[in-house]
This record gives sequence, C-alpha cells and structure tokens, in this order.
Amino acid sequence: MTYEEARRELEQIVQQLESGQADLDSAIKLWERGEELHRICLEKLDSAQGKIETLRPIEPA
Amino acid sequence: MKVEAEQYGDRMVYSVSAFNRGVATWLTRLPTVWVEGEVTELRRQERWQSVFLTLKDPGDGACLPVSMPRGQFDGLRLDLVDGERVHVFGRPELFEARGDFRFRALSIERFGLGDHLAALERLKQKLAAEGLFAPTRKRRLPRFPRRVGLVTGNDAAAKRDVLTAITTRFPPARVVVAETYVQGPRAAPALTTALQDLCARPDVDVIVLARGGGSFEDLLPFSDERLVRAVASCRVPIVSAVGHEQDTPLTDLAADARASTPSVAARLVVPDADELRERLTQTRRRLQGAPLLLLERKRARLETAHGRLRALSPRATLERGYAIVRTDRRIVRTSAEIEPGSHVDVELGQGSFGASVGETR
Repeated sequence: MTYEEARRELEQIVQQLESGQADLDSAIKLWERGEELHRICLEKLDSAQGKIETLRPIEPA
Repeated sequence: MKVEAEQYGDRMVYSVSAFNRGVATWLTRLPTVWVEGEVTELRRQERWQSVFLTLKDPGDGACLPVSMPRGQFDGLRLDLVDGERVHVFGRPELFEARGDFRFRALSIERFGLGDHLAALERLKQKLAAEGLFAPTRKRRLPRFPRRVGLVTGNDAAAKRDVLTAITTRFPPARVVVAETYVQGPRAAPALTTALQDLCARPDVDVIVLARGGGSFEDLLPFSDERLVRAVASCRVPIVSAVGHEQDTPLTDLAADARASTPSVAARLVVPDADELRERLTQTRRRLQGAPLLLLERKRARLETAHGRLRALSPRATLERGYAIVRTDRRIVRTSAEIEPGSHVDVELGQGSFGASVGETR
C-alpha cells in the first residue's frame, strides 16, 4: 500500500465516521482501520529511508 | 568522355568500370554547394592523402560521406571533434575504383554564434508548428512519484543542489540519477540516451533535467532536436531545470514544467514531508474525536425519538387533565355504553378511583 492510498482511505474513513451514517458496530471497525492506516502513513513518512542510486556512471573521457 | 558499351543482341551492356566512369563524369556537372550537418566518424591519419568524415543530419540521422585532401584539411586548423555542427562547401563525386559516392569538400566552416542562433530559431518555429510546445500537451506532475529520475552532469553542482533540495523537502524520496555529459558536442546524444534510459525504468514517475547556468554555447545541447523530441515524447512528465531564469533552451518549451532553481524543481517533484505530517496529525485528531461524536449524535437521536414517543403516550394526555373511564376493563367512549347505577373505573394523570354513574345524557 502506498502512502497516498493509505492517506486517501484514512480520509474516507474519517468522513464516513463524521457523517454519522455508520452504525456503532461498523464504526468501531472503521475506527480501528483508521488507526492502522494512520500508523502506516506515519511509518512511511518517518522510517522510509530515502535512496539515491546512480543509473550509469559516465566513463572518464 | 565517351563511355563504350558492348552490344548483346538488342541489349547495351556496360562494364562496371565504364558505368562508374560515366556516372562520375555526369556528377562533375553538378554545381558546388554548401551542406550543413554534424561531424561524425572523423578519420585522419598521417599516411592517408585524404581526411574522411561522415556528415550527419541532426534531424533524421541521414548521412553523407565526406572527404578532403589532408593538407587542405590541416590548413584550416579547425580541430574538429565528433558532434560539431559545420557547413561544408564542395561537390559530389564518385570514387570510381569502388563505386563509392561521397562529397568532396573544398572548405569546411565551423558553425558560428549567428549560425547557431538562426538554426535555433528555425528549429523552434518548426517544432512549434508541429505542436511540440502546445500547452495542451503538458502533463500533470505526480504528487507522490515512486521514483524521481534525475539527468545531470557527473560532478555538477546542479546535481548536488537538486538532490539536496529534494531530500530536504521529502527525506523518504527515492531518486535515480543518470549521469551524462551536459555540454560539448557529445552532450546532446548522451543526454537523449540518459533520458531514454530513465524512461525505461518502470518505477520512475517524473524526470528532472538539471544543469547549472552557462554560456549560450554551453546550453546548446538542451536545444538539440533529438533531445527536445525525446523530452516531448517521454513516457513520464519532465521538469526542465536548465540554466538560469533568463535562459530558454528548447527543452524548457517541450518539458511539462520549468524550474528556474533547484528548490523550485524539488517543490514540483516531491511533496513537503512536514506538511504531510501536519495534515496527518489533523486527520488523526478527527479520527480520534469521531467515535465520541458518533455516540453523542446517536444519543441525541435516541432522546429525540424518546421525546416523540412520550408525546404520543396517553399518559401525557392524562397529565393535561383528561381521564379515562373504563367499565369491565373496556374504555367507555359513548354514554350509551353505561347506565345509571353502574360502576366505572376512572384513571387520572395521577392515580384512579371507582365511581357510580348518577345519570346518563
């Protein structure tokens, strides 16, 4: 799951919860999923190490 | 010169030598002309009488073999290298012994600044007419590229500046760097190859072309037709971060976005990690508040329903001063149901009592 996917699903869950449409049982499930998505997003932002690779170094002329 | 042919029945047949001589003679009638192209495969050796090179059309790659007497070539003191744009003055000829067609150069002139400017303007008009620079061609840059491609010189400050700007703004960024020549006659084909190599990586979602400022000639490769076409036809969006604000190489016009500085390039290709974190915190706060909000809303809804239920209950009516009269547990609705002397139960808002009916009306 990419950061963007996780963030989008999280936003949807919050909106769904805030709209008050969900029943209590599914609200709890949604909330748990939301917490999990939040953790996924945070991990991707904080622990994902940037990486710089060089495709093909130029040979000295 | 007369070219003799043998007669075989009704067929005239030339020997190879006679044919070549005939064509060679015919070619000498063509006028001397100027031809423009790029020098490739320049071959010069002390023991050779002529210098050979191939003139290449930078547009479609068409080739023309060129020869020039070595003494004459050396006398020009051009120090030509492969990839340089030149004007060659000469005439076509056929090397009879081999049937090789070539252009015999009488003079070679290196492209001057004015020639470059004129050629650049012509190319710009041509590509614009083809629609390569049209705003409708510009693609949106991805918000979260899986990988950022970077085409740059191998030790260029531009490379370091762009990399620093990207990783500062978005530490988790993944960048693939393709190092190449960014100036000189070899730069245009090398840049084009580097760009295509990056395009071939399936996880590269956006590419930055970076080069620091330089003279007009230094930036010429970034106006080369091959590179400009490669930029326009690339699979992923391209950000041109070439030169300074006042420079406008043609790649700038063909690219999907232009960045005047490395930090502008970084802003275009990666999101701001701090901003993302802040937004994530806000979303989390909403998420945590949501269950309570939901409960309160459900409770409020329950109370409303309860209030409506109570309003409909007969008890509320009794409390307003009405009474229910029953006889044998049946509710009395008309006076015909009872008669004087019968016993009734009367229910009030608070409590009840038994009564005897005096008279009915």
